[in-house]
Amino acid sequence: MKIYCLQEFKNQYEKLVRKNSYASVETDIIEYFFNNSIEQLASGTRLNNSNDTPYIKKRLKGSGGYRIYYLLIIKDDNVYLMFLHPKTGSMGYDNINDETKAFLYKKVLESIRTKHLFEVFVTNQKLYFKNINDI
Amino acid sequence: MNCVSKYPQLSETYEKVRILSFEEKKAAVSDENKMNTLLDAILDLKKMISHKTEIIEELITELESITWIDESGKNELMLINDIVSSLKDFRSTLIRFYVSMNFIREKGIAKTEINQFKNAIDDLKEMTNDLESRFFILPSMPEFQETTKELSLV
Repeated sequence: MKIYCLQEFKNQYEKLVRKNSYASVETDIIEYFFNNSIEQLASGTRLNNSNDTPYIKKRLKGSGGYRIYYLLIIKDDNVYLMFLHPKTGSMGYDNINDETKAFLYKKVLESIRTKHLFEVFVTNQKLYFKNINDI
Repeated sequence: MNCVSKYPQLSETYEKVRILSFEEKKAAVSDENKMNTLLDAILDLKKMISHKTEIIEELITELESITWIDESGKNELMLINDIVSSLKDFRSTLIRFYVSMNFIREKGIAKTEINQFKNAIDDLKEMTNDLESRFFILPSMPEFQETTKELSLV
């Protein structure tokens, strides 16, 4: 399984991980996305009507945790992390609006087509991003 | 005690302390019982709030699974619409209960349990919004539908 992300996800992640109160975000993402199969990742709230390419919103770490938006392309065994936000703390908020949900959905399609993506990988329990055009 | 003093105040004070001491010993047992009753009531309250939180969390998981049902016909959408309405009603009731606990919360009693309960209510609201998005709002956006089609061809 390969994990990619949008620029939006990378930007948001980097802002969060710099803050002490969100330091666990790195471990939480690693534990959830790198220790589960694509079938196991097909859970949470599905926002579109597709079993083959589900657009998912996942509650990570329960109520006070994070919300992660991602797309699965099951046949390719690929995960596309689109956006995340915490529910609490200085950078926390309740939800993103429908326009943003739709924007991210369109953005992931465009990014897959134009290959404007980062591959996400783990080394020594650290999360790294590599522009796929540099690979 | 039969000591005689020229100061009657001493005897009076002695008598007062003797009675107070005796009464306090008698009261200690019943006061302890009262405190235990109060602590039991607080524990029951904590359990009751935690139980409500668990029920909400289970409901959210069930609602998440609804979003995985395949495209729904008119009957299914009507039922989902009813679920959304009932959820809003349910949330209002939960909020009223939460507000009714303000005086307890202000005293710092069951603070953790009440905060967890409030987070669960907030999540229920979020889930209700997401259900509406999934079945009513996003499907009505032509661009969103087009993206689903195009993704199936990627």
